Amino acid sequence: MRTSEYVKQQQPVNMAGVGFRRWAQALSKGKGSGISALLSGCRAASGMSKDSLPGPYPKTPEERAAAAKKYNMRVEDYEPYPDNGEGFGDYPKLPERSQQERDPWYQWDHPDLRRNWGEPMHWDFDMYIRNRVDTSPSPVPWSTMCKQLFGFIGFMLFMFYVGEKFPAYQPVAPKQYPFNDLYLEKGGDPEKQAEEVKHYEI
Amino acid sequence: MHLTSTVMATSLITIFLLLTFPVLTSFSPRPLPPDWALTQVKTAVKWAFFISILPLCLFLNEGAEAIITSWTWMNTHTFDVSISLKFDIYSIIFTPVALYVTWSILEFASWYMHADPNMNRFFKYLLIFLIAMIILVTANNMFQLFIGWEGVGIMSFLLIGWWYGRADANTAALQAVIYNRVGDIGLIFAMAWIATSLNSWEMQQMFTLSKDFDLTYPLIGLIIAATGKSAQFGLHPWLPSAMEGPTPVSALLHSSTMVVTGIFLLIRMSPMLENNHTALTICLCLGALTTLFTATCALTQNDIKKIVAFSTSSQLGLMMVTIGLNQPQLAFLHICTHAFFKAMLFLCSGSIIHSLNDEQDIRKMGGMHHLTPFTSSCLTIGSLALTGTPFLAGFFSKDAIIEALNTSYLNAWALFLPLLATSFTAVYSLRVIFFVSMGHPRFNPLSPINENNPTVINPIKRLAWGSIIAGLLITSNITPLKTPVMSMPLLLKTAALAVTIIGLLTALELASLTNKQYKPNPKLSPHHFSNMLGFFPMVVHRLAPKLNLVLGQTIASQTVDQTWLEKVGPKATATLNLPLITTTNNIQQGMIKTYLSLFFFTFSLALLLLLY
Repeated sequence: MRTSEYVKQQQPVNMAGVGFRRWAQALSKGKGSGISALLSGCRAASGMSKDSLPGPYPKTPEERAAAAKKYNMRVEDYEPYPDNGEGFGDYPKLPERSQQERDPWYQWDHPDLRRNWGEPMHWDFDMYIRNRVDTSPSPVPWSTMCKQLFGFIGFMLFMFYVGEKFPAYQPVAPKQYPFNDLYLEKGGDPEKQAEEVKHYEI
Repeated sequence: MHLTSTVMATSLITIFLLLTFPVLTSFSPRPLPPDWALTQVKTAVKWAFFISILPLCLFLNEGAEAIITSWTWMNTHTFDVSISLKFDIYSIIFTPVALYVTWSILEFASWYMHADPNMNRFFKYLLIFLIAMIILVTANNMFQLFIGWEGVGIMSFLLIGWWYGRADANTAALQAVIYNRVGDIGLIFAMAWIATSLNSWEMQQMFTLSKDFDLTYPLIGLIIAATGKSAQFGLHPWLPSAMEGPTPVSALLHSSTMVVTGIFLLIRMSPMLENNHTALTICLCLGALTTLFTATCALTQNDIKKIVAFSTSSQLGLMMVTIGLNQPQLAFLHICTHAFFKAMLFLCSGSIIHSLNDEQDIRKMGGMHHLTPFTSSCLTIGSLALTGTPFLAGFFSKDAIIEALNTSYLNAWALFLPLLATSFTAVYSLRVIFFVSMGHPRFNPLSPINENNPTVINPIKRLAWGSIIAGLLITSNITPLKTPVMSMPLLLKTAALAVTIIGLLTALELASLTNKQYKPNPKLSPHHFSNMLGFFPMVVHRLAPKLNLVLGQTIASQTVDQTWLEKVGPKATATLNLPLITTTNNIQQGMIKTYLSLFFFTFSLALLLLLY
């Protein structure tokens, strides 16, 4: 018995045939006629129902409790965004903490996202994944970091400006040719007397 | 046809075929043999190296350079793009160097990655990277250069994220790609400017036509491209993060070949760069800032690979300084010598890491000189070459650069920073050797440590030979294109050496404090600045993505709807019309006084209009 089942599993199964059979079964079981049978028969069992979608801002305590239950949160923890026309509705306002801050050693359902199934997702969850923004506490306060970094950059830019104003170079002087400083070669008048030019004394 | 050009063209095309053949065989549906990596890939690279010696000898003997143009890609009436390979001094010397280093690294990688189930795929990626690199180096037009540019960027991404199950590796790979992309903006801008103004992407035409133009904008674009690819300050954080990849990747890509492509681009474009004072000053200042900043960051790191990565970044800054001094050939010389000793430093680190069961923290190493004497000796040789010890490889390039720096008319601050960075180089190099090789082991003796595997020893030995004699070989055989300044005061001549020795003595003094139980009150803020990389990654990687993503999310999901429906559209009509309606309504409430005043007002208005 067991061997034959094992052998049966080893035989390659035509997945296309299996899929077609399942589709035909779903079609035959669906209610309605024609196109609606096709649609209702093929509807998947998973996916969000209309009740689980976000709704309007909860005004009464009962609405708050229902919203907290919908988002799988405790009523004490549930806090919606303020109702100021920005369109958040009853979506919960979770603390602005990135996934990097969560325990790396806990056995999460999704280890790379450090999140469990059914946990309420932050509005900016895609920003707080581990490849993006990290809100982990830093050893040095944020203001100190900004001041030191931009102070360093500003200091460097200032010093480069000063360095451009006062460049460094080896001392140079105009070249001193002997006799009459190349008067004839430089196109001087051969009739006239050349004047004595001395840039420096050796 | 002339024999030299035939031999040259044949050997160069043979190199390309040799390298692409293993990649093509890997596309077949049959599974690759398990030793494919070692037998096919490494052998192909080894043979390609030996064949590339032939054009090198022809060049050294006869000065033979070649430009091979084949297969026109696309051409309009006035603009041609074709596959065009340029074999001039730079590509002829760089190709053997790159192939030699890659050959050694591939042999080392066959030991380092032997436990990896996908080793064949790893070697395939490295080979594709090498092909892209050679396409870049031998490109005679900007289009082919861009193909190689993007190719090395993508392979860098795939190789940094080799262990993709690790989120930190994914983040590092993303960082590399995004920072390189920012640099690509500059490159594409420069390419567009060149295409529209100079009407060609072929280097010969670009250089001849560009004499009359003001080239500041495209040159700034090229400098931005080099900043991205060569990890200059501003776009540098990806290089230390790239150490998440396996050590052979760090050795090949992020020390010898890929990160020098930005500098190589500027060297190729040096005819355009040499007359533009603004661009040269930008290169000089940016390089000086980079070299000092990254050397400062390297001082307090504890991961051996990160120290070597920051050392690479510092040397890249020095190369950028050299370009700013209008000495492209010196920068190229430094690229070649740096490839040898930096790759060797990485291979030695990899050997030590693997021996200590993947321990990368130098505080947990020690006494490796007794356990792996060959590796630690080569680590010492590499560090000596890096610091510019006389007559090793690094000396010929580094000392020449510092001499050129000292004797040039330039920004005084840009002179001071590289000198300071040179002394820091000595400090962190000694720190690595002190923590790794000297002293007593600070780890548990769990796994047997030996280095009797020729696959490890031979590559390191080869690169050690390169680190010792490459500088001498290259400088004795290549005539410099610019006359170096030979006469300078003794202080300037020995400045590099003096500064290095000062750094070394300071580091030795600090190291000797470690066993004296000297308890000062530490000033932590410089240490924090250095250890947290100047706070640059912390600030920039949290601020910029958060602002952009939050802005994007708010605009997409709220602001657009709010604007079009409430502020501008239907609700706005209500809010705009309401005051008008209330005013009109209030006027017509049946109050006689209001009607009377209105009647008199309009009557007087009509009277005035009639009279005037």
